[in-house]
Amino acid sequence: MATEPRATEAGAAARARARAARVRALRPWLLLAPALGVLAVLLFWPLARVVLLSFQDYGLRQINTGESDYTGLDNYRDILGDSFLWTTVLPNTVLFALSCVLLTVVLGTLVALLLRRLGPGWRLVCSCAIMTAWAMPAVTGTYVWIWIFDPLNGVVSGGLDAVGAIEPRETNWFTDRWSFYAIATLNVVHHGFPFVAITVYAALLTIPRELPEAALMDGANAWQRFWRITVPTIRPVFLVVTILSTIWDFKVFAQIYLMPGGAGANQDVLNLGVWSYIQSFSRNEYGMGSAIAVLLTLLLLAITVGYVKALSREGDQL
Amino acid sequence: MNRTTPLRRLGLAVAVAALLAFTLFPVYWMVSSAFDPAADHRGAAVLPQGFTLDHFRHVLDTGEFGRYLRNSALVGLGTVLLSGLLALFAAVAVARFRFRLRTKVLVMILVVQMVPLEALVIPLFLQMRDLQLLNSLLGLTIVYLAFSLPFAIWTLRGFVAAVPEELEEAAYLDGCGWWRMFRSVLLPLVAPGLVATSVFAFIVAWNEFVFAFVFLQDDAKYTAAVGLHRFFGQYSTDWGAVMAGSTLITLPVLVFFVLVQRRLAAGLAAGAIK
Repeated sequence: MATEPRATEAGAAARARARAARVRALRPWLLLAPALGVLAVLLFWPLARVVLLSFQDYGLRQINTGESDYTGLDNYRDILGDSFLWTTVLPNTVLFALSCVLLTVVLGTLVALLLRRLGPGWRLVCSCAIMTAWAMPAVTGTYVWIWIFDPLNGVVSGGLDAVGAIEPRETNWFTDRWSFYAIATLNVVHHGFPFVAITVYAALLTIPRELPEAALMDGANAWQRFWRITVPTIRPVFLVVTILSTIWDFKVFAQIYLMPGGAGANQDVLNLGVWSYIQSFSRNEYGMGSAIAVLLTLLLLAITVGYVKALSREGDQL
Repeated sequence: MNRTTPLRRLGLAVAVAALLAFTLFPVYWMVSSAFDPAADHRGAAVLPQGFTLDHFRHVLDTGEFGRYLRNSALVGLGTVLLSGLLALFAAVAVARFRFRLRTKVLVMILVVQMVPLEALVIPLFLQMRDLQLLNSLLGLTIVYLAFSLPFAIWTLRGFVAAVPEELEEAAYLDGCGWWRMFRSVLLPLVAPGLVATSVFAFIVAWNEFVFAFVFLQDDAKYTAAVGLHRFFGQYSTDWGAVMAGSTLITLPVLVFFVLVQRRLAAGLAAGAIK
């Protein structure tokens, strides 16, 4: 009889401790819940849904009635069997993205090396200029490049006309596939290289000065110092900026869509992103558009898996 | 290492000049066209042929463009507030607590950044339509959360981890509750990180085109990026007006970049190397 209250007391204390432990265990999940919830609703479910949609004949009728109409691999068969994909859309997407990534990373690295060479004054001037290029939103940047290359009043047409290099008002660079993408490349590289330059520059600062100096003593020239010391030391940084540039450049949309003819008027210049958009929102073939979006995702996935494998070989720990 | 021969100096000078020309010319061209009375019809020359505010007046007088800018600002601020709050909670969870699946959650957040969000336009369009959030700035804000959250969590995680745990323990010993500690110890110390992620989130929302273009159907709801497109169509030859609008959209981003330049670079380097 006398021991009972004490037993309950001990039990209550144990229960309180257990409760406290549960609260402690729960706390990180409570903190994570809102963020994970948002990501689940906005990323994972849509990702699953775009795959489901790609197996459906999902058009206006299905939108209105809410019924689904699974057609298996029909959408993929249509797209992959269409020579348009192989001769136009895929080359446009892949060649454009690869050139943009290559140019962005090379130019960004060169600028980072330049920044390191400069004195503090010029370094500030140059990094402010880089920031300015970076700050230009994709949409306004695109309009500026269109305006620069405008066939009627653009500064490039005017200049070339003045020196007699082109027939005035008869050269429209936006109609030809190659010159269209050359302008788009200029636009994307101008907007994209500052990120690479600033990141690589910041990484360069982490390399201890003694390393290249020792190499210099050993008689290594600038080229050897760059490839033997700089590149290996900041390889993870190069991988990260290359991955990010790849992701950005494969799904370029606004820069293509907003250019003259880019919104579907000129079939020759379509890329995967714009093609998916046009199939869905101009033709109301959401299933077909989804299949194209899935193809784009798979393409990106294949490329990034390759990169990530290379990155994990670096033995990076979280 | 920095032996400066005249040839080397010349090489550097050429490189700097080329860099400045390439980075600044489009910006110069945009601003100069926005003020140049000849920008719309007489054709362009490298030096402006006069000075006028007419293009800006033209863009702002209709009242449309001011509304577009206001919508963009609303969506941007909403994204900043929501993503800052949610990302800070999540960052504290992964930086301060040891729990099962912690590494898995971290890897997942990293991988999520690889999902090409543009590929999700179609399902998100249908989802927002079902939720009646299609033609609304709130719906757009929610979508931009997905753009900015993973990066914000990843960056803030570094800042939270950098706060010494002894400070928190000291606060506990002084009788602070967890929430008090959070507000008065942790929050002030991770504030610089919050500034960096806020700028990032704001710029994402301010610049985004595809989702805004697909989701917003009503002229009154357009953000500046979509509004400019509309404007471009309406006055397709009035380059002065389009450049004035472009200048107005670019200016806030430019100011932000200059303000946080150092912090941004440091944050990027930390994120890329860690």
